[in-house]
Amino acid sequence: MASNKKYWTSAAELKNSSIVEKLSKTEFVGEIPTDAFLGDKETLETSSTSRRDFLKYVGFTTAAASLAACEGPVIKTIPYLNKPNDIIPGVADYYATAMADGYDFANVLVKVREGRPIKINPNKEATSDNGTSARVQASVLSLYDNNRLKSALNNKKAINYTDFDREVISKLDQVSASEKKIVFLTGTMASPSTDKLLAEFKVKYPTAEHVVYDAVSESAAADAYEAIYGTRALPNYDFSKADVIVSIGADFLGDWQGGGYEKGYAANRVPKHGKMSKHIQFETNMSLTGANADQRFALKPSEQKFALVNLYNAITGQGLASKATPQDAAIKKAATQLKAANGKAVVVTGIQDKSAQLIAMAINDALQSQAVDLVNTKNIRKGNDAKVAQLITEMNAGNVGAVIINQANPVYTLAQSKEFVAGLKKVKLTVAFAMTPTETTKEVQFVNATPHYLESWGDVSITKGTYSLMQPTINKLFDTRQFQEALLAWTGNPTSYYNYLKNTWNTDILKGQSWNTALHNGTFKVANEETTVTPNTVDLNVAASALAKTKTNALELAIYTKVGLGDGQQANNPWLQELPDPITRTSWDNYLLVSRADAEAKGLKNWTVDNGALNGDLVDVTVDGVTIKNVPVYIQPGQAKGTVALALGYGRTEGMQKEMQTGVNAYPLVNKVGGNVTITKVAGEHQFACVQLQHTMMGRDEIVNETSLADFINKKKEEYNPSPKFSLDHKEVSVAETDLWEKFDDTIGPHFNLSIDLATCTGCAACVVACHAENNVPVVGKKEIRVSRDMHWLRIDRYYTSEMTKEKGEEEGIVGSGKYFEAQTHPEDQPEVSFQPVMCQHCNHAPCETVCPVAATSHGRQGQNQMAYNRCVGTRYCANNCPYRVRRFNWFQYAQNSEFNFNMNNDLGRMVLNPDVVVRSRGVMEKCSMCIQMTQATILKAKKENRPVNVGEFETACTNACSTGAMSFGDVNNEEEKVAKLQDDNRTFRLLEFVGTKPNVIYQLKVRNA
Amino acid sequence: MSHYESPIRETLILGDKSYQDVSNDIAAPIEGKANKLWWMVFTIALVAFLWGLGAIIYTIGTGIGVWGLNNKINWAWDITNFVWWVGIGHAGTLISAVLLLFRQKWRMGINRSAEAMTIFAVVQAGLFPIIHMGRVWDAPWVLPIPNQFGSLWTNFNSPLLWDVFAISTYLSVSLVFWWTGLLPDFAMIRDRATKPFQKKIYSLLSFGWSGRAKDWQRFEEVSLVLAGLATPLVLSVHTIVSFDFATSVIPGWHSTVYPPYFVAGAVFSGFAMVQTLLIVMRKVSNLEAYITRDHIENMNKVILVTGGIVATAYLSEFFVGWYSGSSYEDFTYLSIGAATGPYWWAFWALILCNSVFPQLLWVKKFRRSFIFSFFMSIIINIGMWFERFDIIVINLSRGHLPSTWTQFSPTFVDISIYLGTIGFFFVLFLLYARTFPVVAQAEVKSILKSSGEQYKRAIAKEENREYRK
Repeated sequence: MASNKKYWTSAAELKNSSIVEKLSKTEFVGEIPTDAFLGDKETLETSSTSRRDFLKYVGFTTAAASLAACEGPVIKTIPYLNKPNDIIPGVADYYATAMADGYDFANVLVKVREGRPIKINPNKEATSDNGTSARVQASVLSLYDNNRLKSALNNKKAINYTDFDREVISKLDQVSASEKKIVFLTGTMASPSTDKLLAEFKVKYPTAEHVVYDAVSESAAADAYEAIYGTRALPNYDFSKADVIVSIGADFLGDWQGGGYEKGYAANRVPKHGKMSKHIQFETNMSLTGANADQRFALKPSEQKFALVNLYNAITGQGLASKATPQDAAIKKAATQLKAANGKAVVVTGIQDKSAQLIAMAINDALQSQAVDLVNTKNIRKGNDAKVAQLITEMNAGNVGAVIINQANPVYTLAQSKEFVAGLKKVKLTVAFAMTPTETTKEVQFVNATPHYLESWGDVSITKGTYSLMQPTINKLFDTRQFQEALLAWTGNPTSYYNYLKNTWNTDILKGQSWNTALHNGTFKVANEETTVTPNTVDLNVAASALAKTKTNALELAIYTKVGLGDGQQANNPWLQELPDPITRTSWDNYLLVSRADAEAKGLKNWTVDNGALNGDLVDVTVDGVTIKNVPVYIQPGQAKGTVALALGYGRTEGMQKEMQTGVNAYPLVNKVGGNVTITKVAGEHQFACVQLQHTMMGRDEIVNETSLADFINKKKEEYNPSPKFSLDHKEVSVAETDLWEKFDDTIGPHFNLSIDLATCTGCAACVVACHAENNVPVVGKKEIRVSRDMHWLRIDRYYTSEMTKEKGEEEGIVGSGKYFEAQTHPEDQPEVSFQPVMCQHCNHAPCETVCPVAATSHGRQGQNQMAYNRCVGTRYCANNCPYRVRRFNWFQYAQNSEFNFNMNNDLGRMVLNPDVVVRSRGVMEKCSMCIQMTQATILKAKKENRPVNVGEFETACTNACSTGAMSFGDVNNEEEKVAKLQDDNRTFRLLEFVGTKPNVIYQLKVRNA
Repeated sequence: MSHYESPIRETLILGDKSYQDVSNDIAAPIEGKANKLWWMVFTIALVAFLWGLGAIIYTIGTGIGVWGLNNKINWAWDITNFVWWVGIGHAGTLISAVLLLFRQKWRMGINRSAEAMTIFAVVQAGLFPIIHMGRVWDAPWVLPIPNQFGSLWTNFNSPLLWDVFAISTYLSVSLVFWWTGLLPDFAMIRDRATKPFQKKIYSLLSFGWSGRAKDWQRFEEVSLVLAGLATPLVLSVHTIVSFDFATSVIPGWHSTVYPPYFVAGAVFSGFAMVQTLLIVMRKVSNLEAYITRDHIENMNKVILVTGGIVATAYLSEFFVGWYSGSSYEDFTYLSIGAATGPYWWAFWALILCNSVFPQLLWVKKFRRSFIFSFFMSIIINIGMWFERFDIIVINLSRGHLPSTWTQFSPTFVDISIYLGTIGFFFVLFLLYARTFPVVAQAEVKSILKSSGEQYKRAIAKEENREYRK
């Protein structure tokens, strides 16, 4: 609006006096005599400001101006203009979903902060609780993998999905018209809605066929089940119902038949009323399961087959054809114990041979094992090796018109990879669905970029009758499309997969129950109508004689998977690469495991170099004509003599960052288990990244305290779990009475304790990755791990028993000599194994706290030993004075540093960082905080809801991830808490209690049922 | 003061020196030009210093990770060098303060250089605790400086904080004591100086010393008071340094014998370093008249005594560890485990250099040999470096939990910084040798008439006795 109002600023202006006009023209009262000053040479010379002074002023003002400019960079936070309903900044949302990548299947609870999934937790309310392994825990980082496919590709060129579909459909039509086969080669999907989609696809294209392929095959077991019960599935096992467990080559605490058995196993590993399960393991290489066994016997792969038949014969009294093995006495004893268990017994085997699996099932049948569930079978390994082999033949014969690959990387994982690639060339249409570039995507015409499971809809049925839903927790990061969406498009179905999934569930599964509830819970259980299955009879004689024909070789091959990389899908995940293997404690590698005896015979060595790092010899490994070159040798205690073992999942190169291209690919040997191995030492040496160089306890047995079941039942606590005693005034007193320090007041508010039960800790390392993810622990890479600069806040120490005991030393009269100490450092050839998770012990009298000159580490009111990163000047004195060596120093800047090119060095990878935990800068010390961000959040939540914190509500990342319940956490001031009750348990001890540190972490000793 | 001294006491100034001669001799290196040898050694030292400086800058710019440390062995060469240099810095104060209180006149020929060495060594020592910090830029936080952050304060429980006080006190007291002694000597140089610039500088340095009786009286008093102050420091500094280890809970560190044993070790290594420097210096700077065979022998005797204390401490450490029967003591730095373990060479270097070879000093001929004493001093310096290396690295590499056992190997940066401090030390010492009166000439003059050769000879003749040359 225009206005002609005039505002005057003074009375003079109102009166329009001339002085106002004059003043407005000349702002300054007098004119500045610039000309006069500069023009007059004389005045200039007499001026007190010399040229030097002038320069000084200029210099000073410039310096002052530049100093003033030295401010930190301004990082702007942009607030929500319209706040999404379900996002409150600073408050995490949790969504139940399921992981199913063809190898790992789990019901998970995803923690989402500000729209970003940042942490995978197990869904503890799931109907089929599979637990979360290290890989499942780490899978969130694979979402933010910088190497992911960002769009669809046609002949390695980006293409949009409309064109993609047009071309694929036209080719499919041509193939269909020519009546050639359209083959879907997929990993196990166990997805009811996908199965339905595939069936619909088959209606449109009748020549379509579905071949299921598992990279790490359990085909033999599925074949065996199919032979007896007619359907393709795997029996389920409940180890909690078994008092005697005999495993012949089954790593059931690892990845055997999809894993997930540790919870049931652990349930019976703590003596209750003087009873616990007895676990006997016969195996080739030291597996996680073997490490946990009460008795472990080493057998070659070929001998395992004979042992299984011998076990059958011993139990049933029959005389199936077999051969003798070195462990027949143990087999006989095991058979007696199995029979005596009266149905509370189970035998499992990991031998990849249908005959062996048939015999194992027959043994369980003979034992009337209550632990085997033949009705509610497992669906997560459906691969069929025979069909895969047939497919390759047909492809090469030119009978296949189209191959569509999903959730599989056959070019990398097939032993017959070369034939497969040759076959692909003869196929008209080749399509691969993949999240990252793989060896397979390189060989096909069309590549459909798929979303991560955290960006996808889906369903999975882990066991028969249980269903899990997969829901996206973040918008798709890239231009990706699910396999199912593609199928819908190709079958001309316009519905979205979400609607399709919902409809399928509503009609086939939920049958009137709420979809929203099912989605909220993440899982749904259907009562199984069938309660029994009827077996067909199989001729065990045929099976046994097939097994008896197995040739025994001088040096046999075993193939295994590691806790870290599994089948290798997530090989580009730095958390998994950096995760030390629980057995070898070596990261960033696979290697040929060799027994000490074989290594000595072949002149192979491992040795420690000056900086404490481990080096080893290199060999070429040849098995039945297939050679793998330059494989590092790792001498493994417990390895059966005359065998070598190599882990799968390594040696990938496609879609992999250079740092992550580690190890050798063992898949070419995957079908040669038991094959005759020749190894030739080659020039050069390998540098391992091994974090534990001393494998025995050096006579310090109280570190990982153990007892036998007999002692535990019959003896007093002081005998099998003695507390340290000190002499004070010639009297024996406890550590508490020799205390120099004043006690902290721990009565107000919560006082946290963490308890670790060594009897049920299997060493699976899920907690290590959970801690890594929760606390923004940096990945430091192979070179740094090598020189003991691992940053894991939580490590799992692994000890072997030594060949030299004090008794033996006394016998030889060498106790206390250099020879004795040297012998103590060598593990036994067939050692017993102990695991011990060690994190900051949060000592009530912490040695670290007294020595910090700036008080950067001090005691919290809730019992934690706290670390103020901002205050730390980095003298590292605290780390030196920590008897547990749990403190980790930031030797370099690990985040945003191209020298450490891992997830913290790219924008995408940094999205996984937990905003509640600060990323530490270089030069500061860090360590376990007892997840103070989690406990504080729990307290605040309770406060807001105006209630006390519930029993069991306090959690840390490690206790949350622990599938077996070995770890528990809580407030000891609340007597109802499990940790409070465990304080005075007969099995409870504290690590290095005699030092007087009074830790807030307690351990329960392991009981061996030997 | 009577000038009479028994002729059987050793002659401390050789060669019929007059007061004028003493002045001339002491002033000669300052007034003359440096020779080629000086320039050569100085250049080498300077290059080493600059190289070390570069290594320090690289460390601060990149991270402590450029050293060979790891999460189990968090200290190695850094603190080894620190303790080594502090130990070396012990001889000066002992010579000038303790021997002053005990009225040991032979100290007069060597105390100035010994003290200079002390100060320069403490400067090197002080570097390491600073640069070993992960965040050097926050180093001032170890000082109890009042701040606005509420109760943010240093932790007075920490031995590292005690170190801060101990070292800074020691450095300042030593510096004041040294400077006080220098005043009359600077004044002497000032009075001789002909160039105005030099004159100005030395007048400043001499704080206006006039040579009046009052000046001398105050000088004597202050010297005594400072000697009284400095004497407890001789004991306290290394006692406190030893607390870094003794108050910890780590096997091998947690040991009550550390304070006396560290002090003895410090004097042992300090005297060895004095030997190293003075045996060279007396030749290069023509000070044979003032630093005599007797001086060397006296110092060797101190080395023998303190070396004996150190050896006894080793034995007791070894025995107590073994006698405890604790498996945690099997691998401490003085144990069978260490002698046969991966660091056997460091263990034996320590035993041979510190406890075996120095026993040769029981032989008088060796004790009085310049060459032998020089080599022995080098051996002891090496041995004492290994003592600290063993204490830190061997003990840390064999902690409570065998799962954490590892090893350490230095990187080129570790080595560069160590060589750099040696370079820096010699840069300072060589500059000192060319600009400072390297012998306390005022004090020496005070004993000229009692311990000068010609006076001894005269008295001996009068009393008809032999005099000790």
